[in-house]
Amino acid sequence: MSENERILNALIKQVSKPGRYCGGEFGQIIKDKSQIKARFAFAFPDTYEIGMSNLGIRILYDCLNKENDIWCERVYAPWTDMQEKMEEYNVPLWAHESKDEVRTFDFLGFTLQYEMCYTNVLNMLRLSGIPLYAAERGEEFPLIIGGGPCAYNPEPVADFFDLFNIGEGEEMLVEIVRLYIKMKAENRYTKADFLHEAARTIPGVYVPSLYDVTYNGDGTIKAYTPVFDDIPVKVEKRIIKDMDKAEFPKQVIMPYTEVVHDRIMLEVFRGCIRGCRFCQAGIIYRPVREKTPDVLNNQAKCLFENTGYEEISLSSLSISDYSGLAELTDKLLEWTPDNMVSLSLPSLRVDSFTKELMDKVATVRSSSLTFAPEAGTQRLRDVINKNVDEDDLLRAVNVAFDAGKTQVKLYFMQGLPTETEEDLKGIPALAKKVIESFYANPNRSRSRSPQVTFSVSCFIPKPFTPFQWEPQDSLEMLEEKQTFIGECVNDRKIKYQHHDAKTCRIEAVLAKGDRRLSKALELACNEGFRFDAWSEFFDYDKWISVIERAGLDPSFYANRRIPYDEILPWDIIDCGVTKEFLIRENIKAHEGVVTPDCRTHCSGCGANRLGGERTCCPKITKN
Amino acid sequence: MLPENHKELSGCYSKFERPYLESPEIFRIKFSKTGNLQYISHLDLQRTFHRVLVRAGIPMWYTKGFNPHAKLVFALPLPIGCESMCELADLKIEREITEDEIKAQLNAQLTDEMYILDVYRPNTKFADIMYAEYRIIISSPNIKPDTAEIVSKLFSSPFYMMKKTKSEEKEVNISDFVKSFEAFFKDGAIEIKTILSAGSTANLNPEYVIAALKDRTDIFGCDALKCSYNIMRTRFYDRDMLEFR
Repeated sequence: MSENERILNALIKQVSKPGRYCGGEFGQIIKDKSQIKARFAFAFPDTYEIGMSNLGIRILYDCLNKENDIWCERVYAPWTDMQEKMEEYNVPLWAHESKDEVRTFDFLGFTLQYEMCYTNVLNMLRLSGIPLYAAERGEEFPLIIGGGPCAYNPEPVADFFDLFNIGEGEEMLVEIVRLYIKMKAENRYTKADFLHEAARTIPGVYVPSLYDVTYNGDGTIKAYTPVFDDIPVKVEKRIIKDMDKAEFPKQVIMPYTEVVHDRIMLEVFRGCIRGCRFCQAGIIYRPVREKTPDVLNNQAKCLFENTGYEEISLSSLSISDYSGLAELTDKLLEWTPDNMVSLSLPSLRVDSFTKELMDKVATVRSSSLTFAPEAGTQRLRDVINKNVDEDDLLRAVNVAFDAGKTQVKLYFMQGLPTETEEDLKGIPALAKKVIESFYANPNRSRSRSPQVTFSVSCFIPKPFTPFQWEPQDSLEMLEEKQTFIGECVNDRKIKYQHHDAKTCRIEAVLAKGDRRLSKALELACNEGFRFDAWSEFFDYDKWISVIERAGLDPSFYANRRIPYDEILPWDIIDCGVTKEFLIRENIKAHEGVVTPDCRTHCSGCGANRLGGERTCCPKITKN
Repeated sequence: MLPENHKELSGCYSKFERPYLESPEIFRIKFSKTGNLQYISHLDLQRTFHRVLVRAGIPMWYTKGFNPHAKLVFALPLPIGCESMCELADLKIEREITEDEIKAQLNAQLTDEMYILDVYRPNTKFADIMYAEYRIIISSPNIKPDTAEIVSKLFSSPFYMMKKTKSEEKEVNISDFVKSFEAFFKDGAIEIKTILSAGSTANLNPEYVIAALKDRTDIFGCDALKCSYNIMRTRFYDRDMLEFR
């Protein structure tokens, strides 16, 4: 047992949920350090239970570890009790597999899944003994890499990172580490030369320090200027062109303790054909690229053999839009029942929810079904381009009621552009119609009464959506609307839940922020912020305080209508979808005009120029 | 340690080729749980084992019902933070398979921190377990050659401590739960070999021994990172102090 392991053992015995820290899972990768040319610590800036549920990390862990001379390990955010012990005994953050100190690694990668984890990223750097700012880190520290959905606007955290992966990382990440190994072997490595070389030669690499940002007097951005002429003016995201050939982890790390998603996650396709105007994922993962049912069935079998999981979740953005869904579920059902494996679908669209589909999936077991109409009236659903109507919803819930189900969950958003009182009243009214259609259904359960839970979150304008220019409602307005909706509920069979508006406001600031926010995040880190995605640790007043002390106005980022011609912090990134398309969609939203899904009709978003197999996009040939 | 390269013995679908038994049969597995896995709770262990059994293609008998599950019964929960070389569990098997096959197929799906030591047909019931033997190794800068002697006498007279039961916490004489207790000074550390009550009628978590030492000696009265202890369950006994298997 190494000295590090001995110390950690002593710490682990003193904290709650020790299974979070001990490692040793079946399927974890241990390598002989003497054969390794680059060590990569892959950090998930939240707890083990959440991090282990992330499919992206599992894929990238597998991609890096397929390389013999690279060893990728995992790192998670220690819970507050462990953090206290680490600080008390001066023990720096370690990697899960080897228990070696993170600061001795060549790379430290963070996946940025949600904005509220930024304080955890900084806290983890601090706990590792690594200076926060990239500019303050010498050659002795690991290269800090970021990726994931929040990297599409990396600017609020840009000063802390050496480089970002823009887009899908399966190939890019290995190329980055390969370049590092090569430059070291050729004895021409310095951090500065490596970053320049990576930005110059590896598509999808964004090195923030190589772009100067200037601002206008009113705080808006004046220009992004590359420091060298040989690096891209805009960083185009990377995609995996053929999903059938994409790396997929055959050997999954099996957690011993219960994690959030403890099942086989079968990624069916990337992207989404829909184009809801508030949805960032629906844009940044374009173009849609499907896997074929045969490939998926074989991957599912392989994953089952290697895990013994009792559930397969078909995971993709809007799974019922998969063109091979019937074929895939039929193939899976040939072998899953004998092996006591059930199927589940994470998200259901009301317009494609059928009895046939419901019979095939495990949701039958639970008595509850979840749908997301998102808005209370057809007018507003047209504005946000959620192409479902009330009849679709009522038909879908009747399918569920026919099958004896009694509980329905509905997801909505408030604070959407153009929203009126009518739209807000429509939310509880729709819940009421669901209750009414239960009692009108002759096949309904006679033993249990219906329960509709509707959950209302606050609209957060996100980068790369048609709503990126829209202001968020003021905090007072968001809270007033929450109360108003609550007052419209007068039925005990209807339960109302809502998100914390204060968190949603800070999330809007961080989502649309620019580089100047790094000062606020530094203050936040110094003042002990962490786990801000956890309501028990989030403190709104402290957040406003650090933002203001950084000389910034939260309303500038969250509550301002941005003109189409203003330079946006994320304009440095090219996600494939053109700004012209997003402007067209924004205009159509205000006109209440819907846009058909990609399969019905191409709307010319521009993502098809990235290429891709088994898309529904018209092909273009690059010159 | 695990034998190398016997992955080919496994295959989760192989069980379907085995003929059914006339009626389901019980097999007992003896396994280790050491190192990092000492921090895995009993509940987590149960869930883990179900998946291991599936991966290994063990032809488990499943309850017939709406939500079928395999029949897997563990002897006695192992406290978190305690290692073991003698954990026992009973499997209900519905197709033909040998003890050696069970052992090899399971070990292909396990790690060297938890692996199968033995597989056999049991002729005892877990309820017959009365005692468990533990080996406790303590290292601390405060340990002196004569510490062992002081430690040895810890439970030779009544020793009252607050003890938690399912419903309440009350003061009990811990010595009543200590069947035997020996301490040695070895390589600068203290090694304790003790047999404690175990099972459903009376049970003592070995952590109480540590708590007693913290209370009565200065062994742990130093920087928490400099002193450490390690508890290992080594054996079960029945009421007649015969090894339970």
